Amino acid sequence: MVTKDFKGRLKILSITVMVVIFVLIARLGFLQVYDGEYYAGLADGNRIRLIPAMAPRGIFYDRNGTLLVSNRPGFTVSLLPLTAPISEDVIDRLSTLLKVDKVEIHKKIDQHSGFDPIRIKTDIGPEVLTIIEEQKEAYPGVVIEVQPIRNYINMDMAAHVFGYVSEISDDELAKRKGEGYRSGDIIGKFGLEKVYDKELRGTDGGEQVEVDVTGKPVQILGRKEPIPGANLTLTIDEKIQKVAEKAIDEQLLKIHAKAAAAVVLNPKTGEVLAMVSRPAFNPNLFARGISNKDWKMINDNPNFPLDNKAITGEYPPGSPFKIITGIAALSEGKVGPDEMIFDSGRHWIIPKVNSEGEALGWISFKMALAHSDNVYFYEMGNRLGIDKLEKYGRMFGLGARTGINLPYESDGLVANRAYKRKVFDDDWYLSETFDAAIGQGFNLVTPLQIAVVMSEIANGGIRYKPYLVKQITDPNGQVLKDFKPEELGRLDVSPDIIALVQDGLREVTTVGTAASSFGKDFPVKIAGKTGTAENSQGKDHGWFIAYGPFDDPNIVVAVLVEQGGFGSQSAVPIGKKILEAAFGIVNPEDAAQK
Amino acid sequence: MIATVAAIIVISLVIIGSATHINTPSDERYWFVQRQGIFAIINGLLIFFLLNFDYKMLQHYGNRLYIFNLVMLVAVMVLGQSALGAQRWIQIGPITLQPSEFSKIIMIISLAAILEDKIGKLNTFKDLLPIAAYLGVPFLLVLKQPDLGTSLVFLAIFVGMIFAAGVNLRLLAMIFGAGIACLPVLWHFLKDYQKMRIMVFMDPNVDPLGSGYHIIQSKIAIGSGMLFGKGLFGGTQSQLNFLPENHTDFIFAVVGEELGFVGAAILLILYLILLYRGVKIAREASDNFGMLLAVGISSMLAFHVLVNVGMTTGIMPVTGIPLPLMSYGVSSLTTNMMSIGILLNIYMRRQKILF
Repeated sequence: MVTKDFKGRLKILSITVMVVIFVLIARLGFLQVYDGEYYAGLADGNRIRLIPAMAPRGIFYDRNGTLLVSNRPGFTVSLLPLTAPISEDVIDRLSTLLKVDKVEIHKKIDQHSGFDPIRIKTDIGPEVLTIIEEQKEAYPGVVIEVQPIRNYINMDMAAHVFGYVSEISDDELAKRKGEGYRSGDIIGKFGLEKVYDKELRGTDGGEQVEVDVTGKPVQILGRKEPIPGANLTLTIDEKIQKVAEKAIDEQLLKIHAKAAAAVVLNPKTGEVLAMVSRPAFNPNLFARGISNKDWKMINDNPNFPLDNKAITGEYPPGSPFKIITGIAALSEGKVGPDEMIFDSGRHWIIPKVNSEGEALGWISFKMALAHSDNVYFYEMGNRLGIDKLEKYGRMFGLGARTGINLPYESDGLVANRAYKRKVFDDDWYLSETFDAAIGQGFNLVTPLQIAVVMSEIANGGIRYKPYLVKQITDPNGQVLKDFKPEELGRLDVSPDIIALVQDGLREVTTVGTAASSFGKDFPVKIAGKTGTAENSQGKDHGWFIAYGPFDDPNIVVAVLVEQGGFGSQSAVPIGKKILEAAFGIVNPEDAAQK
Repeated sequence: MIATVAAIIVISLVIIGSATHINTPSDERYWFVQRQGIFAIINGLLIFFLLNFDYKMLQHYGNRLYIFNLVMLVAVMVLGQSALGAQRWIQIGPITLQPSEFSKIIMIISLAAILEDKIGKLNTFKDLLPIAAYLGVPFLLVLKQPDLGTSLVFLAIFVGMIFAAGVNLRLLAMIFGAGIACLPVLWHFLKDYQKMRIMVFMDPNVDPLGSGYHIIQSKIAIGSGMLFGKGLFGGTQSQLNFLPENHTDFIFAVVGEELGFVGAAILLILYLILLYRGVKIAREASDNFGMLLAVGISSMLAFHVLVNVGMTTGIMPVTGIPLPLMSYGVSSLTTNMMSIGILLNIYMRRQKILF
């Protein structure tokens, strides 16, 4: 039984509950019935405008904190229909002034929903701005918004790494629905801008403004400040990147070649210090809405400026592949380090020859590598067979993406029986093993892959994942993510063999194919390998891969010049300039010129 | 009572559907509704299952539940995930739990268990002190999270229950007086954002773009609903995303905007029926433990309704207190439905009036 004495108190509780509810209902009545008109007016679509404020995208810095990509304020012409749709006259006038097709403007109006402004043209010049501002009466419903516009400070520098941004397409919008993307948004389309779009984009803000009948703001009802996107600190070293680009541009001009790529890695971590692809493009063109003319120029270029050749371009590796063939032969015991093999200029089973008709006589492994002797490596291929070659190629990471944080990376191809069966429906022939052993035939690599191969040699056999971003920080400088070296695998090769290959590669720059460029005077000990890859489509591609300092390497360079001819003449001069920049060496010739 | 609860939950599902309609892509549009609906059904079944057990056995678990409660609240401090500046959630598999929600109902059971034999014996400050201390520990833990709203709910439950337990009225008045006198001291312990909320409540124009935003938007939403509302899915305020948290804490604003004064008042009448029945169950309970449980639950629900609706209509400061059975949130829904289950349990075993 409930104690009787306090039953009265429960009655009081009942009454309290009733009072509470009736107070609330009374309050509702006051808000909704008595003051309802006022609030209805405020909420009415005719009186409230949402003026969005676009969040500035995150900034890119190089590894030393140098500003690479930022934002600048730009003026955007938008339509903000107030009481009536925008009149045909105004659209006519705008179309002429902005040089935007009327059909285009109508399309944008039709596709738009919601109460926010319809963006017609971004980043207008000061002349257009002045005209619209001065003749406001002639442009009712036209507003000028200030928006941050992506600014690639060094124009086309590292364009393929940074990528570019532009307005989200219908396809992307459909795919990314639910992630907060809206039509008219700016989105990263390529490069790091694409990969880290989510982190970079920030959160748009806006102002909710009460306007009077003429559209003049009366009071601000709400404001959400835009939150800038997170900043990226890249692994790129601006200094090396600039030198690499300049060296490539000068060299291409000199030898009349059109396309090239270069990658600079730190073999101890996998950090990418520079990445160049030529021809390039200016990403600023996309940021302000690319014109048809500019787009045509980029798109019609036969050398595909939009491809990042360092990761997308697939080329026969040529002589640099001999490193892999050599390691395979030594590891499998198919040849001794000091075993001498006779090079008569052509192989005795299949009459395949050295380039330029060379014949070196009795040679050992190191000499063969330094002089890039074909006959010696044909014989290694002969002894190994294609399956062993394939195994070692894959051990080095070829035939698969390196996993770098950039879009559109290619797999490359390691020559193998299954591929030939599948594509050509044919058996494997010994001559194809010969071709594979010197990096020709079916073998294909990207410049980045071959740079990774060279890193594995330089660091004693560890395969790191190449990466471009060191750190993501929020606008206040707080670290959101730190990127650490990521080990993907280790070579199953004895240290002695790697050391032997290192010695062979060292001789390339002292007595071998790159000796004439480096000679005795180069102040840092460099190991390298040149290559001249046969190209069925035209002139040979030139390769040069190198690392240094020889005793404790922290720089790996890979250079490819498309249709550049001999690697020693096309790619080595570029690689040398990059190495000079990386090691802070003043080129005596340049010094003399000054 | 069951019909009232069912009606509120159905309204809730419809409004959550409307509130989350626009801002969610089509394939996930009904995710919130589905989730809330599924948990409502699960809880409903659970209630009917638990009705087989006598609520009186809960009395023996009072202390054990109390300890469990403390452990849970400490766990959330250590393991909890922080969101919006407060550490309130624990992630268990796909479900994020908000222990402070569950701790309310546990607190009611524990308090009822120790108050049961003290009925009518709460006449001096000394009598009250142990019970206040008993409440104080979890109260401070919740306050520390920081979750001012839930800690205030604890106070409301406490006051309701000692009132029903026959506390000396003069003593209660004195405590109130002392409490008010202590307010300036308490002020110093509030976080900045909490201070701001209270200042904004006094005058929303202090910070119309920041902290005052919620109140202004919510008032516009409700006010513009007028007598009959703008119709489901027709609320411009809520649909255009001006009103944040519109499916959780500010769901009442959506009701007000879309269903108007008529709809919102009907909802409040439903709450009145629910609360009135709750107190009636207390009066008819077969023992003091049941009476105290029912009072505690009714106080909790009443305080929630008052503070939440008061907040959305601008007569109470903003605290993160959900509207019982309406706001989206699995923890809150479960707590409230369990409370209703206990009320039903007490009702089933009420004293039989013999004529």
